[in-house]
Amino acid sequence: MNIRKSLLPVTTYVRIDVKRLFRDKVAIFFVFLFPLIFLFVFGSIFRGDNDVSFRVALLNESNSAFSKEFSDEIKKNDIFKVDNEVTNIDLAKEKMNRGQIDATIVLPKSFGETKQGQNYPSGEAKVIYDQNNQSAGTTLNSIMEGIFKDINQKLVSTPTPFTVKSESTATKGLSQFDYTFTGILGFTLLSLGIFGPTSVFPRLKQRGVLRRYHLTTLKVWQYFVGNVLSNAFVGLLSVATMFIAALTIFDLNMRGNYLNLIAIVILGVILLFGIGLAIGGWARTENQAAPLAQIATLPMMFLSGVFFPTFLMPELLQNITKFIPLTPIIDSLRMIVTENASLLDLGPQLAVIFGWIVVIYLVAFKVFRWE
Amino acid sequence: MAKPIVELNKLVKEYNNKQVVKGISFSVNEGEIFGILGPNGAGKTTTLEMLEALRPIDGGTATLAGIDVASNPEKIKSLIGVQPQTPSFEEKTKLTELIEMFSAFYGEKVDPHQFLKEVHLDEKADSYPEQLSGGQRQRFSIAAALVHGPKVFFLDEPTTGLDPQARRNLWDLIREVRDRGVTVIMTTHYMDEAELLCDRVAIMDEGQIIALDTPKNLIKALLKRGFKKSQHVEQANLEDVFIDLTGKALRD
Repeated sequence: MNIRKSLLPVTTYVRIDVKRLFRDKVAIFFVFLFPLIFLFVFGSIFRGDNDVSFRVALLNESNSAFSKEFSDEIKKNDIFKVDNEVTNIDLAKEKMNRGQIDATIVLPKSFGETKQGQNYPSGEAKVIYDQNNQSAGTTLNSIMEGIFKDINQKLVSTPTPFTVKSESTATKGLSQFDYTFTGILGFTLLSLGIFGPTSVFPRLKQRGVLRRYHLTTLKVWQYFVGNVLSNAFVGLLSVATMFIAALTIFDLNMRGNYLNLIAIVILGVILLFGIGLAIGGWARTENQAAPLAQIATLPMMFLSGVFFPTFLMPELLQNITKFIPLTPIIDSLRMIVTENASLLDLGPQLAVIFGWIVVIYLVAFKVFRWE
Repeated sequence: MAKPIVELNKLVKEYNNKQVVKGISFSVNEGEIFGILGPNGAGKTTTLEMLEALRPIDGGTATLAGIDVASNPEKIKSLIGVQPQTPSFEEKTKLTELIEMFSAFYGEKVDPHQFLKEVHLDEKADSYPEQLSGGQRQRFSIAAALVHGPKVFFLDEPTTGLDPQARRNLWDLIREVRDRGVTVIMTTHYMDEAELLCDRVAIMDEGQIIALDTPKNLIKALLKRGFKKSQHVEQANLEDVFIDLTGKALRD
């Protein structure tokens, strides 16, 4: 059989399978709307500011002009989000305990008064923080020190031979959304790749549709390639929809090359769909497929950086998660989006992806059943 | 005069060291409707599935149009059409697209509109199979199995579970297939169906062929042995009444 003749079943199937998808409202929901809803929910949580801000309570117990001016400064400062409802220390402690505010700044009675024999105001501000939120406390402490240093400099001029200045390497700050987005992309590919085929194939078997295909000269590899291609196409459309929403609504900073991105998305679909194909191709009923689909998805959902970056995990766990199929996909997407990584930079990730593809498809071919 | 197209020679199928088809031999002639009769578990379906290259043959040989079935399953699949017991298609797919798809699965291209016209379904070309009536779906299912122009058409208990009108409709469809020059091999456990439809029947029991002839000859042979029906035979039966009252054509 020549090549064109053996590809005819594949191309015909892909064309009709894609058309069929657009007639199916449920499929459209899961491919396009569901990821968008997911994107909006997570996007709104992680939306926006590049700057870190602290929710603080400000208790000004002093009547001095300086303390008045100082608290106005704090309220105007972008770093602080002052909770104006808090007027006493008890309420402040309660809110800190609940995590509603990060810390409390107390300006005591004598704060900002000019002591006898001095010609400048002085005082000591207190930063109170919850034991569970030490990092916020210490960070706030150093921010306050910085502010006071500027004021001190103005009031009492002293030479400062050594100073330190910090500078961000990024030309344009990356928002938390930029990191979250690639996790959402990974999740979309995961659900497209696994939940689709693990429910569709057993259903087609039970209705005898696949048995009917088996009666023809259609070969397993042709059916596999046809399904992979139509799903890769649908996956790209889904990712494109999410990109448009992310770029226009959430100001995504896309630093990388779109061709690299497309390549990774296609490889991602091939790999994840292969897992779904192995499970759905083996199972005779949906009941057989569902638990396996869960077993396959759950670790990937929680260990591959969908919800939080893998570099926050303990090192031992990181060494394992690196080899979970979804991890290199999400890592590659993130490195392309946030670091403009080239395919060469992604060598280790690509090696894991290709390794899994070989293994998964060998298994899928071995266990596939037409009925 | 009659040219055999399917030939079985001592065909054997074993499951767990137990023979379920015990070395059967017969041949089916080109252009006939051949019935395999028998009770459940007689080995009818197994025999059919071996001929369809769906199950390995454990002993003996089977040839179809002179081609050995066991060693050329791909070639055999392109020479036969099969009507599954439950004709079912993927949803939201137009008839034209299904025809295109099935012909592509055989590595062929057909004009789906022209093809649907030939099987009198051109009006439904843009419908989905789930929108067809029972009769139309039967017609379409058979058409889809013949899209690649096979020489032999297999049906495994095609009328099991159908109402009388749907059965009659299917008989007409099967005759149409035969009239197009396709040899038909079918299994059934309805004797009336075999008598009406089949040119010749093989009666199978416990994995063996126990009789093979035209329905007329089988009946004649039985009568010759001195068989007499205990009951007086009516000129019509209840089914004839039912069909007469509700109309012969299948309700759409």
